[in-house]
Amino acid sequence: MADDKTPAADNPFTQTYVVQSGDTLSKIAQKYYGDASLYTKIFQANRDVLSDPNKISPGQKLRIP
Amino acid sequence: MKKPSFWVLATLAVLIAACANQRGPAEQAVTAAESALTNIRDMANRYAPDQLQAVDAQLSGVKDSLAKGDYKGVMAAMPALNTAISNLKDTATANQQQAEAASAKAKDAWGPLSSDVPKMVDAISSRVDILSKSHHLPKGVTKDTLAAAKSGLDSMKSAWSDASNAATSGDYTTAVSKGQAVRDQASQIMQSLGMKS
Repeated sequence: MADDKTPAADNPFTQTYVVQSGDTLSKIAQKYYGDASLYTKIFQANRDVLSDPNKISPGQKLRIP
Repeated sequence: MKKPSFWVLATLAVLIAACANQRGPAEQAVTAAESALTNIRDMANRYAPDQLQAVDAQLSGVKDSLAKGDYKGVMAAMPALNTAISNLKDTATANQQQAEAASAKAKDAWGPLSSDVPKMVDAISSRVDILSKSHHLPKGVTKDTLAAAKSGLDSMKSAWSDASNAATSGDYTTAVSKGQAVRDQASQIMQSLGMKS
């Protein structure tokens, strides 16, 4: 089971977050992981909708792995 | 020694003849009952074992009577024995149908479980990996919570393996029972890690 993990994009149990005005990936990482430097985890899990970690838009639904 | 009278000998002859007349039907009745029980033994052993044990004891008593030559006793006991065998068959059949229906229901329930639970565990595993790298834990998550989630992952993987093996062997009732326990545990861990909004 753990050796063949479901990618976050295909996993309905991956938590999601809708971007609010003023949010950054770092702020979201701080909220969910307690560590802003882990924003790359969120970026990697949302590469299908994000091309730049510094560009997120209010209303975007992001996966929080 | 005085010779037995004609009447004594005649009475004995009548008694022996009467006995001999009942022996055949008694043996046939016991054989038929044994055969009827043999036909349903496997099913009864699985679906009505206690009732089978009682009928076996009843049959054993009748066979004892037969061995002792109590053919009249055998014939007297046969209706009750035959009724008991018939009731045993009815009970075992009903229990078998009930078990098969429960198994079919469990098989249906296994489908969504087998799809959801591994994904829940993967989501938890991912979050635990990330939180393990975090310098600070998020609000509401403590070191103890994280440690419990880590050990919970191990126990869930083990329990899920048991559930999957049960399903593979066709025991969907056990598979669903174990699988639901894993799903409940996963749900609880997700809650504790703040993975549910």
